[in-house]
Amino acid sequence: MRASALLTLAARNLRADGRGALLNGAAVAVGATALCLFLALGMGVGQAVRQLFPSEARLVEVVPSSVSLGPLLGGGQLDDAAVRRLAALPGVTAAWPRMNLRVPLAATRGPEGLALNYPPGFVLQIPAVGVEPGLLAGALAPGAAFADPGPEGAIPVVLSSRLLELYNKTIAPAWNVRRLPTGAALVGLELPVKVGFSIVPLKTEDRVYDARLKLSGLSDRVPVHMLALPLDVVRRLHREYGKADQGYSAVTLQAASAEEVPSVAAAVRRSGFAVDDADRALAERAGAAVGVATLALSFLALLMLAVAGLAIAQSLLASVRARAREIALLQAVGATRGDVRALVLAEAGLLGLGGGLLGSALARLCAAGVDRAALRLLPDFPFRPGSFVHFPPWLWAVGLGVAVLAAVVGAIGPAAAATRIDPARTLA
Amino acid sequence: MIELAGIVKRFRDADREVPVLDGLSLSVADGEMVAVVGASGSGKSTLLYLVGGLDADFEGQARVAGRDLGTLSERERATFRGREVGFVFQSFNLLPHLTAMENVCLPAWFAEGPALRAEAPRRGAEALRRVGLLELAGQRPARLSGGQRQRVAIARALFAGPRLLLADEPTGNLDTRSGEEIIDLFGELSRGGMTVLVVTHEERVSRAAGRVLRLEAGRLA
Ligand SMILES: Nc1ncnc2c1ncn2[C@@H]1O[C@H](COP(=O)(O)OP(=O)(O)O)[C@@H](O)[C@H]1O
Ligand SMILES: [Mg+2]
Repeated sequence: MRASALLTLAARNLRADGRGALLNGAAVAVGATALCLFLALGMGVGQAVRQLFPSEARLVEVVPSSVSLGPLLGGGQLDDAAVRRLAALPGVTAAWPRMNLRVPLAATRGPEGLALNYPPGFVLQIPAVGVEPGLLAGALAPGAAFADPGPEGAIPVVLSSRLLELYNKTIAPAWNVRRLPTGAALVGLELPVKVGFSIVPLKTEDRVYDARLKLSGLSDRVPVHMLALPLDVVRRLHREYGKADQGYSAVTLQAASAEEVPSVAAAVRRSGFAVDDADRALAERAGAAVGVATLALSFLALLMLAVAGLAIAQSLLASVRARAREIALLQAVGATRGDVRALVLAEAGLLGLGGGLLGSALARLCAAGVDRAALRLLPDFPFRPGSFVHFPPWLWAVGLGVAVLAAVVGAIGPAAAATRIDPARTLA
Repeated sequence: MIELAGIVKRFRDADREVPVLDGLSLSVADGEMVAVVGASGSGKSTLLYLVGGLDADFEGQARVAGRDLGTLSERERATFRGREVGFVFQSFNLLPHLTAMENVCLPAWFAEGPALRAEAPRRGAEALRRVGLLELAGQRPARLSGGQRQRVAIARALFAGPRLLLADEPTGNLDTRSGEEIIDLFGELSRGGMTVLVVTHEERVSRAAGRVLRLEAGRLA
């Protein structure tokens, strides 16, 4: 029997019992709606969480061990030799040392060329960290040199791109100051600062002089609360102010792949250093919570689809029994038992297809509704995602596929019952 | 057209095996109209469905329309039912949600190859004209009288152009007048060269047949 003939005949049979078909299709549709909606929400919220807790899967943060056994185990201070050893660990493709600036740095005015009503007399203490340009690759404005410009030049700095978001969404509204333009528009701005000046009088150095910072880029790899300067600038300032060498504050290792991160972390610990994975752990825990919730809800949706499949099984079985004569007749006019089986399965498949299509479409609509409601009702907090649902095209295929599967699996029993009908006995 | 020899058909009833047909032989020539009579439960329907290839579970030799029924595969038997024979039943067995024309063309859905499907409209119309119901082609069975329904069923049996009609009590559900019309129609078809094997317990049906056989104790006499 040709597929087109099979489907046409199956469709006619469904139309003959329109109410039953509608009911079964609706049951499948509800299950498919739930499945697609839960998956779309799970993926959307998952993406939002990743945005809230960004954690680059390939990076490992090495810090000096708090219980250092010193040179005994080769750990202790993070000096150049330690960085070289860490860079040589298997699976490590790059090692970027970082050094916190121990000379106070403060701003007493707003950036030049930016109409920002900077509060008069307000001193902003700026924590800074020296980093290598390699860490910021891609974040630097084209042509911006991330190196020490000497005592007279403007010091290139890179800000956390997240700081801007926090500032615009919380600080600016709270202080009633103007919001900053996002992104590259800020790059090139200069901020006059006082080197050696601290709001804590005891910490102010004997010598305080004016310098300029020049924003060279925005990067997620810079901690939110810090400004990144070239490592050489930090070294020069430490020399100028006679600060003793204490080694690096941290080293960022880049693993060849996310899968190698655990083994790299283990190797780092064996070399006597500690791994700071607080950020990653937080991101992983939040991601896992969303994942588990999505899984549980999807399981519930699958259960609903299974119930829909059972409903189809039950009503198809009743329908096959009621149509025993009809099925026997089809065999008398040339149908094989295989044709009869295929016909019952095709009826279920069409129910699943219709229900799945309807369900996926409903889920798409619900997702859009949830998104619009969430965006309207939730306040404008930092890192608020642009969307709380993610509905990729393949989700339609999932909705359709699972719905058809549930219906067809439900029809296996009724289809077998249809082939067991004895046409001679039934027609006689 | 039909050559049966030594046919044995048993039904397992609880734990006993009941032979319904027991060494039955039958020979029907092309274009002949043969009536099979016998008591209710004597095995007339069983014989008819065996000849029509709906029941392959029997012993003995059965050649129908040039086919050895014992050697056909399931697919071949289905094709045989669809093309070589036409069934007519006591209870018509029309599909209620299809029109008369669609009921007549039902065998085309299961035909191998596109030929029968492509010709379905022409063949369907031809078969309905043959039974005198072309003007009711678009009607559902519920709108037709009993006699009209049975004529639609006969048109369905004629659709694929078989040379053997198998009818099981075709007048059993009809009033006298409609019954007469159906019997006349069988007579006409037979005179036109169609072989007809009709099972009945009605005198008037057997009178129209060229030969009447009585099924008794699993054999024909
Ligand atoms: N599938 C079956 N299983 C068991 N017994 C059957 C089956 N089909 C028919 N029979 C028995 O075979 C006998 C003949 O049946 P049937 O051919 O329908 O008789 P008729 O058509 O002459 O009235 C009856 O006794 C019936 O009960
Ligand atoms: Mg009978």
